[in-house]
Amino acid sequence: MQKKRKWFFRMAFASLLRRKSRMLIALLAIVVGATILSGLVTVYIDVPRQMGAEFRNYGANVIFTSKDGTALTIEEINDGLSNVNSSQIVGMTPYRYETVRINQTPVTAAGTDMSSVLKTSPYWSVDGEIPDKDGEILIGATVAQNYNLQVEKSISVTFTPEEVAEEAVAFDNGDEAAEGETSTSDVVLDNYIDFKITGILNTGGAEENYIYMSLEDLEELTQIPTTISLAEVSISASGSDLTAVVGSINQNSENVSAKVVKRVTASETTVLGKLQALILLVTIIVLALTMITVATTMTASVTERRREIGLKKALGALDGEIIKEFMGEQVLLGGFGGLIGTILGFLFAQLISVNVFSSSIVFRPVLLPLTIVISMAVTAVACLIPIRNATEIEPALVLKGE
Amino acid sequence: MFGRMIKGILTRQWKKMLMIGLTIALGASLATAMLSVMLDVGDKINQELKAYGANIIVSPQEASVIEDLYDVEGGDKATKAYLREDELSKVKTIFWAFNIVDYSPFISTSVKLDDGSEVKLTGSWFNHHLELATGETLDSGIRNMRSWWDIEDGDWIDEQGSGAEGECMVGTELAKKLGISVGDSLHVTGNASAADLTVKGIFDAGGDEDEYIFTTLDTAQAIGGLDGKVDTIEVSALTTPDNELSEKAAKDPGSLTIKQYETWYCTAYASAICYQLTEVITDSTAAPVRQVASSEGAILDKTELLMGLIAVLSMVGSALGICNLVTASVMDRSREIGLMKAIGAQNSSIILQVITEILITAAIGGAAGFAAGIGFAQIIGQTVFGSSIALRTMVIPIVIVAVLAITLIGCIPAIRQLLKLSPTEVLHE
Repeated sequence: MQKKRKWFFRMAFASLLRRKSRMLIALLAIVVGATILSGLVTVYIDVPRQMGAEFRNYGANVIFTSKDGTALTIEEINDGLSNVNSSQIVGMTPYRYETVRINQTPVTAAGTDMSSVLKTSPYWSVDGEIPDKDGEILIGATVAQNYNLQVEKSISVTFTPEEVAEEAVAFDNGDEAAEGETSTSDVVLDNYIDFKITGILNTGGAEENYIYMSLEDLEELTQIPTTISLAEVSISASGSDLTAVVGSINQNSENVSAKVVKRVTASETTVLGKLQALILLVTIIVLALTMITVATTMTASVTERRREIGLKKALGALDGEIIKEFMGEQVLLGGFGGLIGTILGFLFAQLISVNVFSSSIVFRPVLLPLTIVISMAVTAVACLIPIRNATEIEPALVLKGE
Repeated sequence: MFGRMIKGILTRQWKKMLMIGLTIALGASLATAMLSVMLDVGDKINQELKAYGANIIVSPQEASVIEDLYDVEGGDKATKAYLREDELSKVKTIFWAFNIVDYSPFISTSVKLDDGSEVKLTGSWFNHHLELATGETLDSGIRNMRSWWDIEDGDWIDEQGSGAEGECMVGTELAKKLGISVGDSLHVTGNASAADLTVKGIFDAGGDEDEYIFTTLDTAQAIGGLDGKVDTIEVSALTTPDNELSEKAAKDPGSLTIKQYETWYCTAYASAICYQLTEVITDSTAAPVRQVASSEGAILDKTELLMGLIAVLSMVGSALGICNLVTASVMDRSREIGLMKAIGAQNSSIILQVITEILITAAIGGAAGFAAGIGFAQIIGQTVFGSSIALRTMVIPIVIVAVLAITLIGCIPAIRQLLKLSPTEVLHE
């Protein structure tokens, strides 16, 4: 029995080696099929994640506010974020809003963490630079236009503490036309800081009406310890996953009330769903067509070996043995092709990922056995019919070359 | 003689030729389907991205300019600038009118409720029916442009139905605060007049709008005393992702050369559409909403590149498959060709014969595959996007050339080998 098996493998390998060029053709067919199979499946699995990251261009999809209507602290926000898998967090930006004055007219100032704003608002377009140290300020385009401000200029921002606010309101109403002239009592009580303008912000939205400085500067200006009005959070999840994440934040954290930004998330689920459906369909169609091509090539390569089959039969081989031998040979080829195809398919997916999303993908080990098994199955099915047909033929006829 | 031999091959060896034809057909259908989908996917995804709402906002030029220059007195409310309602139809007359999918005017005014609280009342289009000069009709309004709203109770206001004037929709936060539900009557007092509005629906917008009341444009104008005036126009347009030229143009169209200007003006960049909108609407500025416009660009670029790469790589795959099969099937005929050589056939006539056979098969297979490919593309279009995929004429020549080239390339290694054959060896075997 063992001897027979040894003989079987020797026959199979010898056949593969002897008929180099033909086998190369069959192998190439399987490799192409397996490459497309494993490559497209990898892309299909990976696309939602990669595309989801692209959708984070729309900015924050979750907003943190406090549960009791008061302000938040950074600790409370981080506590809320601890409920999210850290690899899913794209960015978090805290915002503190205060009304300040430029040239005695009120403007909304936002104190924020300048290093993280671009993570939650990637669509911001800044003429100049985003401030990276204290004493620098980013101003919205509308503000820049209204006060005729330019990059590199400096600007004095004042804040009226609450104690003098009432007085200031009364004063302000009477004095709006006479810009710049201020009564002495006001100047003494107002806090002010001179900022250097590093950039002008264009968004086409409400952000253009605000000015942005660091939380530390805003604290210094107002002389009120930092509290956070709200935090924008960008989490790479969509649909029900995101709802679950937000639910767990709301349940587990003490003071954070997380809300989904519907405008961003509702549409993302739809578009991402369509995109994934598109790639699934394309994958199925391409795979079906490729597998048929592989099958026809395999069929052709077996059909041309009818003479060999005829000779074997003439020498007394049984039909069952011939089928077993040929199938074994082809399936072995299928498995080998599947192995090469898996590797090439990974490179194919990597090529797409790097070119389209500029990020690499991880190799999924499960695809290796999957691709090999499918390649073997396709070759087996493709060879079954021509081999059976060949065995039914009279050896004499085949050998005569009819 | 030549014709008879070709015919003989095609009829006697029809099984083998059928297989080659089938493989070429599959390859051609794959190429046709992938190319069609690839060329159309941008438009389709662009349509889907319209779910994010407006990507361009048209607003009046700042009133402050006039105020500052001429020292016009009178407080900020009186000099607030507005757009003109009678100019709204001009939006669909610009060069890129066809790319404007939806647009909707907004007018906001603050109203007092019976309990003394002030809320924001916004008038807009819901499903406003437009009859355009071109004969086109369009149902435009926030029903499409606020696709992310959840209608918690009731329904959208139907402007085409009766009684829309006396109806309003209330944001979920406000409805909770006031304890009102669908069918209730809400008494609002505005700057000009008071009105009783019937609550038609309660919506959850997941943002500031949850605190607002929405009603038709006419109703809001009457209540606020703002007849014929519009605050902003939100425009949802299909745009081409920005590039260097469009960014330069967005800053200052005057900085372009005449040729650049023409290219820019005649390409559907967000900045070009904005520019054209300000041309037709008096005293307006239009700006792309960067959150929507720039993200759209990124996603469109990525999707097109992704589909393009999948298309190219899978076509390369099927091309290899076809080449392979052609090689295999031509080599298979070594005996026959050996015989032809033995009875004096010249190499050139053998090549001609082999190529003619294969090309006839390829032509038939390719034509069948092309038809099947269009079918596949439509299956994809209907299943995924619910609309058909447009067939670009450029796909036809690409597929024809590709099928011919691939088939011929597939023949080359086989022919080279066949020519090397010595008849005695082959026939003896």
